[in-house]
Amino acid sequence: MPDMDIGLIGAGGIARAHLPAWVELGARVTVFSTDDNAGKLAERYGAHGVVAARSLDELLARSTAVDICTPTHTHREIALTAIRAGKHVVCEKPLALSVEHAREMAEAAEAAGVVLFPAHVVRWFPEYAALAEAVRDGAVGEPAVLRFTRTGAYPVWAPWFADAALSGGILLDQMVHDFDFAQLLAGPVVRVHAQARGHLEAPAVEGCVAASTAVLTHASGAVSHVHGVWGLPDSAFRTTFRVAGRDGVLHHDSAQTKAFRVVAQGERARGEGIPATDLAESPFVAELRDFAAAVTGGGTPRVTARDGLEAVRIAVAAAESARTGRAVELETTHHETEEVAAR
Amino acid sequence: MKVGLLSFAHVHAAGYATVLRGMDGVEVRASDPSAESAGPGEVRGRALAERLGVPYAETYEELFDWGPDAVVVASENARHRPLVELAAKHGVDVLCEKPLATTVADGEAMVAACREAGVRLGVAYPVRFSPAYAALRRAVRGGGTGRVLTVAGANNGRIPSGDRAWFTDPELAGGGALMDHTVHIADLLDDLFDGAHATEVYAQTNNVMYAGEVDADTAGLVTVRYDNGAVATIDCSWSQPAHHPVWGGLELQLVGERATVEMDAFGQNVTGFDERSRSPVQLPWGTDLDSALLRAFLFPETAAGPGEGSGAGPVPGGGADGADEAIRVADGEAGLRSLRIALAGYASARTGRPVPLR
Repeated sequence: MPDMDIGLIGAGGIARAHLPAWVELGARVTVFSTDDNAGKLAERYGAHGVVAARSLDELLARSTAVDICTPTHTHREIALTAIRAGKHVVCEKPLALSVEHAREMAEAAEAAGVVLFPAHVVRWFPEYAALAEAVRDGAVGEPAVLRFTRTGAYPVWAPWFADAALSGGILLDQMVHDFDFAQLLAGPVVRVHAQARGHLEAPAVEGCVAASTAVLTHASGAVSHVHGVWGLPDSAFRTTFRVAGRDGVLHHDSAQTKAFRVVAQGERARGEGIPATDLAESPFVAELRDFAAAVTGGGTPRVTARDGLEAVRIAVAAAESARTGRAVELETTHHETEEVAAR
Repeated sequence: MKVGLLSFAHVHAAGYATVLRGMDGVEVRASDPSAESAGPGEVRGRALAERLGVPYAETYEELFDWGPDAVVVASENARHRPLVELAAKHGVDVLCEKPLATTVADGEAMVAACREAGVRLGVAYPVRFSPAYAALRRAVRGGGTGRVLTVAGANNGRIPSGDRAWFTDPELAGGGALMDHTVHIADLLDDLFDGAHATEVYAQTNNVMYAGEVDADTAGLVTVRYDNGAVATIDCSWSQPAHHPVWGGLELQLVGERATVEMDAFGQNVTGFDERSRSPVQLPWGTDLDSALLRAFLFPETAAGPGEGSGAGPVPGGGADGADEAIRVADGEAGLRSLRIALAGYASARTGRPVPLR
């Protein structure tokens, strides 16, 4: 890991997952948030040289790259400001709430010659990385039918998650992970149908449940099912997938992982919103290392701004489908055609 | 009680014959006169009857002359109707393999013929009799899950090629994987939701896996909306690898406002490995679903009450309203409802749009 000055923007849940990863990677980190959490977070990591900035300008002046860990509706403005200042950018997923905004961000980064890296961390989760590598090597043949599920406790720790105007709702905020992965494995998506149920508006309190089901049709003919749940407070964070083709099937269920389990602890444990992953290298460390390597070495990172844009395109179409009840057709973009050819 | 088995076309026919042969107080006789859909080397007709140890009738007329109290129809999906109508004509109760038919017109005619003849028409949905489903039903109907939001179901299996290859002939089977596998979960939800109706179906199918080998769809996802507010997506694919040691399975997750529950209809197994055959071992324990289905159809009056979960009769419930109601064999009307969902799925897959029902 080369010398890096990172400006971490935001001090909420995902910033608290990214900061230790940056520290582990040896980066010098400045934190800024619009509330007083940045100061507290910097203090906790003071021994590692983490400091708080008083303004975004001060953070930008101290950084070569920024890591945007703020609520989704603020991504565009902060990213464009950082890109204008010539900074490389890590941006939490989804890149933006609309295709137009995501495209504007991707194009601005390309024009400025900086890396815009959407933090689709699932690509670095070891089970998913193993899946992607095996499928790329032909383990199932051509993927025909894919299923993904993702369950966590309803994110009530910050009020903006439940507000679709700020987060995009469960389809953009949570299921976008699996939309990204479905597209990575089975190629461009041409049609989306989705339905959402349960508590889909702010405010949300502990005990609310939201669930959504989406069916993607890929240009290859493959079909993907994505099921997302923001669940009850005791929902353990859980992901599953099953990817099948003529030549095989690969599946995973995090609830079946036997490497370590808590068998009893006297009372029912509360669920998590962000997964604890200490059975392999932290996916956050691997993710941010890949970003740093792309910034300093100039290579293409595992996930690009265009990938982030495509994930937003699918998620926005899914949200439109859930709202209107209709299936939504997606045009295949030039970028996607290139991606498929490269695959 | 005399029970006739009409046709060996369906893969389940041999299983039914074996169960019926071993059932106390039941005499079984089979007939399989039209075996032209059989593949090369496939054993059918008298030869299969002898192998299964059941008496055989050369023609369906001869079988009905024997005077059966009930018959089981296990012909190809598109050929259910004439046999069900024959049973109705002879005044004999009939249990028909799923799906009920391959067209709504055939299904409606079958329901009407049985109603007019005053005979019972049942549809062979054995998963209704799985203890896992009974537990799910108690959880939902007893109020434990609260209002149902989403259901994610999967009924996957190996492609039914080789023996019984008519399953991949869209004419005889009425489709492919979507027709074969959507209806089981659609039927469970039909019973589970107790009067709620499916209002819309969206489906996408493909034949990525077996293009050039079979004409039928071999993979599909089907989303069904219900007027109780629930939405279900069913993976109906023949996506279990052809040589996988396990045939497939049926699982579903149900997300309710107060609880999320899951069932696996084939999740009761002792597993291991046999060194002599160098293959995995799976020892199912608990209820034999085909046996439970046949008993429930043949002896409906012995419907078990709550607390008698022997697996031999309708499965009891427990808890609040509707949870105690015994699980019954799907009737013709229920068979028609799950058929309509599959057919709407095909209409949706053709157009790429959701298709309203009714």
